[in-house]
Amino acid sequence: MYSTLYIKIRRFDGKKEWYQGYHLPYEKGRTVLWALTTIREQMDPTLVFTSACRHAICGSCAVTINGNAFLACKTSLDEVLETFQTPHLIFEPLKNFEVIKDLAIEWEPKMEKMEKVKPWLLPTEEGSKELGFKQSEEDYHQIAAPTDCILCGVCTSECNQLAVNDGTYLDPFILNRAYRFVVDSRDGSPEEHIRPVFENELWKCLHCMQCVSKCPKGIPLTEQIAFLRQESIRMGEVNNQGARHAFAFHDDVRNKGRLNEMTLPIKTDGLVNTAMRKVPFALRMIKKGKINPFHMPKAVEGIKGVREIYQYAKEVGE
Amino acid sequence: MLSYDVIIVGAGGAGMMAALNASEDKSLKVACLSKIFPTRSHTGAAQGGINAAMGYRDENDSPESHFRDTVKGSDFLADQDAVEFFTTNMPKVISELDYFGVPFSRDENGNIAQRPFGGASSPRTCYSADKTGHVILHALYEQCLKNGVKFHNDWHLLSISVNKGKFEGIVAMDIRSGEIHAIQAKSVVIATGGFGRVYWSRTTNAINMTGDGTAACFEAGIPLKDPEFVQFHPTGLASTGVLLSEACRGEGGYLINKDGERFMARYAPGKMELGPRDLVSRAIEMEIKEGRGFGEGMGSYVLMDLRHLGEKKIMERLPQVRELAMDFEGVDLIKEPVPIRPSCHYTMGGIHVSDYRTCSTPIEGIHAAGECCSVSIHGANRLGGNSVADVVLFGKYAGIGARENAKKRGFSSTEKLLEEATGWTEKFKTIREKTNGIDMFKIRDELAETMWNHVGIFRTEAEMEVAYEKVSRLIEDYEFAIIGDSSERYNMAFLNYVEIGNILKLAKAIALGALNRKESRGSHARADYPERDDNNFLKHTLIYKDGDQYRLEYSPVKITKYQPEERKY
Repeated sequence: MYSTLYIKIRRFDGKKEWYQGYHLPYEKGRTVLWALTTIREQMDPTLVFTSACRHAICGSCAVTINGNAFLACKTSLDEVLETFQTPHLIFEPLKNFEVIKDLAIEWEPKMEKMEKVKPWLLPTEEGSKELGFKQSEEDYHQIAAPTDCILCGVCTSECNQLAVNDGTYLDPFILNRAYRFVVDSRDGSPEEHIRPVFENELWKCLHCMQCVSKCPKGIPLTEQIAFLRQESIRMGEVNNQGARHAFAFHDDVRNKGRLNEMTLPIKTDGLVNTAMRKVPFALRMIKKGKINPFHMPKAVEGIKGVREIYQYAKEVGE
Repeated sequence: MLSYDVIIVGAGGAGMMAALNASEDKSLKVACLSKIFPTRSHTGAAQGGINAAMGYRDENDSPESHFRDTVKGSDFLADQDAVEFFTTNMPKVISELDYFGVPFSRDENGNIAQRPFGGASSPRTCYSADKTGHVILHALYEQCLKNGVKFHNDWHLLSISVNKGKFEGIVAMDIRSGEIHAIQAKSVVIATGGFGRVYWSRTTNAINMTGDGTAACFEAGIPLKDPEFVQFHPTGLASTGVLLSEACRGEGGYLINKDGERFMARYAPGKMELGPRDLVSRAIEMEIKEGRGFGEGMGSYVLMDLRHLGEKKIMERLPQVRELAMDFEGVDLIKEPVPIRPSCHYTMGGIHVSDYRTCSTPIEGIHAAGECCSVSIHGANRLGGNSVADVVLFGKYAGIGARENAKKRGFSSTEKLLEEATGWTEKFKTIREKTNGIDMFKIRDELAETMWNHVGIFRTEAEMEVAYEKVSRLIEDYEFAIIGDSSERYNMAFLNYVEIGNILKLAKAIALGALNRKESRGSHARADYPERDDNNFLKHTLIYKDGDQYRLEYSPVKITKYQPEERKY
């Protein structure tokens, strides 16, 4: 193993930004939070980062290391060293957040955004402040995983849609919070949580799976997004780009067992929009040999099996 | 100058519950200050549950039984009128939390599930898997968002201004800008949590549990009640103090010293590792003291060996414990023993609350709730599951109390308040410029070591005298402390400096209270006075701070129903 680590930290004092390097003696079995604390207490008391509980429940201490988000207290340095295969590590604040100073980030704008989905129980009439509710064990299990969220921001930092979005798209933890109330049997107005989710670019999730693979609590964020989409369709929101795209996928695969790349944009965006926006792009693709405009896909060999899967999914869904 | 009708300091379970209740009257201007983002608060770390005699699992359970268990658990030092109020009102608060959306685990009838807990005669601990505090904290935050509670996040309490016995307001720093503000208020609720960080690395507490509100009240003239009562947990991870569940002893783990012995044979040959918490804690410390531990000084430890249980059993019964040891100590229990040592878990003492119904203190307008204060319902020893219960219930009544008080009281003068704010601004400036002096972290670590070794798990006159002197000297050293950061914005080093000042003040009170309590009661175990002494010490310690002088008084315990008897389980 290494005897010394070289940790470069992105610093920010409100005006200027710079990188500062620290040589830290390696010790076996330590965490990333230990590294940060040791640097601050023994080398540089001006370094700012946030932490509190040091056992992965308060959500304060997430940072990025070599571009990837980690909860500092729960992440072993050995694991990080093995992943990146180098003793040179770059610590930076979480991405897709405003930075206050060094590694400390601002949460208030995210909370304002979260308020859009009414992140609180809208109780049914069956419950009361005096007597509470009845809820089955099964219904409790629906909300057990999503209420594990500690608001650490790892999902936000990893989200590739947020990286390019104008800020409308809701952070994965916000979608989780909406989901948590939608599936709570004690909540009488799920549509009030889903509507704002739908209105804030629900369909823009890129399915890159980064949020779900990095979540320190293992919350199935992408399954929840899929669920929220289905619910929005159930509420009648079918005439939008996202839903049309999903239906196009659904129909193509059912009919032929594969996608028809030529008709997909038309089904999603309509003929006019496709002609105006996608044609020049398509022409460039054709020129580079990426797509063949004359290729009309035939049904795949196992199309019968594909349709059986559809049938099965339908039965299970019912 | 900022001005509010009610200010709440702290945004954990007690603070947010107070904020919700205080802001129910929309004519009042209410704000909640917190040195961290609300959901980072330490209430979130509570795992096991929250006690309330709902009677769902055991229909014979009652608030009366909860009352009796709590008094007995407190080793009869709790005030019984307060405990009865607490246990009687708890079931209502649980229903309220349910209505707020707290995801409680459920039983087969759809009621909130309840589990057995130490010291309880019925299974009355409501829970949400092993994250009860976390879900309550988040639900309260959601309710605060819903009700538009005004938060000042990243604001640090510096002092409370009391002028000629009248509460004026508080001084706090906006951490992000570095500005120091005088905030005028009609009433305040202090809800800043416990002060386990007196023992620094040997605590299960979050790093910011430094008793800021407790120290500020103490400085403002409110006495500390029973500060000597500090609860320890036998199995904290050695390097961080993070709690390793009791389940590892329950499942048959061995405690091993440097010589490879199962040393519990010396202390509890019958029960071995399954002896009660305090006895196991004392045994571990004795081994270390007598040179049979591993490591040195504050880094000393013994081993918890689970390897003989085998991979299958460990994976089946203790998967979370294994994960915890891997994540936070870098040890795989299946392959190696894990280094452990006792860890400070809870402070029963704190700000003297003189009326449990409103959580008011002897100074009109100042209220307190949660671990920062002592009502006292925990007396000499808190029962598991009673801390989150304490926090939500008394947080609620403190909020109501402060709200009603604000309606009755006008604003006081701001004379001393402004003076104090100027004083802090000067102090902030001076300390930032100071480059020569004593490293503050060194003072902090020496304090922890002194308190751990001499006012820790077992206590003797001679050792505590040494500690008292040493802490007094560290308080002098603190005058020469340097922080090493000259910046104005987000100066974390300055905040650590303030926090260290607070734990120093509180540590001295712990030592003084412990030194003078010549008996063993609850968590306070003295080798030189091993018995409880009701004739002389069935009373609360009250410590006052007059300038730099500490003054000791006592006040009677309120006994309504249960006369002290021997505490046997």
